Amino acid sequence: MHEYSLAQALLESLLAYLREHPVSGRIKKVHVQKGELLLLSEWALKEAFRILADGTGLSGAELQIESVPVLVRCPSCGYEGDVRYLAEEGWHVAVPVLACPRCGAPVELRAGKDLAIVGLSVEESTPV
Amino acid sequence: MHEITGAFGDVMQKQLELAAQNYELLKKRGVRAVNVMGAIGSGKTELILRMAEKLGARGLRVAAIAGDVAGDDDYQRFRAAGLPALQINTGDQCHLDAHQVGHALEDLPLPEVDVLFIENVGNLVCPADFPLGTDTDLVVISVTEGDDMVRKHPKIFAQTDVVAINKVDLAAFVGVDPERIAADYRKVNPHGKVVFTAAKSGRGVEELLSALGF
Repeated sequence: MHEYSLAQALLESLLAYLREHPVSGRIKKVHVQKGELLLLSEWALKEAFRILADGTGLSGAELQIESVPVLVRCPSCGYEGDVRYLAEEGWHVAVPVLACPRCGAPVELRAGKDLAIVGLSVEESTPV
Repeated sequence: MHEITGAFGDVMQKQLELAAQNYELLKKRGVRAVNVMGAIGSGKTELILRMAEKLGARGLRVAAIAGDVAGDDDYQRFRAAGLPALQINTGDQCHLDAHQVGHALEDLPLPEVDVLFIENVGNLVCPADFPLGTDTDLVVISVTEGDDMVRKHPKIFAQTDVVAINKVDLAAFVGVDPERIAADYRKVNPHGKVVFTAAKSGRGVEELLSALGF
């Protein structure tokens, strides 16, 4: 349960960005990419953001979360890309296996533990 | 409605930067550090104490950080064993983070330490998302937790270098096959090292140290 602290970090980084780059109109959606290795509940993260954003310039904005897959680089054979998934009966989740799918060697993680804001959907302000 | 796209920053990046600072400081002081994770009651403290005895006998100076939501029981055990130790009470946070560990490093006599064990809060979820800047991660499972621990928490095991399956001397009493836990771990982590231990009797402690690179 660390969704609140991360939602707070997302909110603070976004508010700081908006102080530098104000937008005209209400922000309706905040697009976030979440690495699939992070052990975060998407529901709890959205709810935390909704509650923490209330009363700020992002009041009413909703997190739109996209899960991004693990990407690796293999120092042994140079492979770069996604990995094999283990999906055993009864596990109910597909687990990324952090080994090179081409040569089997240990790999470096390139993506899969990120939590990044990648876009905003802004409602146009109606001209008066 | 219009869209603004771009890189607005990664909030996990801050954690990685703090962890990297800890790592650099530990390297500069010549300290090798291990992040010890595992459920409450898996035997993390006891295993650290047994490893500290063996490392002490080799002339290495060991220190420990005890991470707990509340209380200082583990800290007291480290101190009673003569280890320089610090308690971090997380105040209901379910994991240690690099920021807290960074402050603890300021208070430890690092020039007099060769090996630092950082005992994380008993939890198999949140600690996996927060790197501390250690050389190695270790997860301790006790057989009394059941033989389905890897299947219930696959992502932390997929990312952990070394696993100790502890209290194997109790396996027969609780009807658990430690080999089954090891087999699940090898599936999610083909390069991980798994060691069977019984901390109270000292069984497997040398093997665990060697799996951790000592």
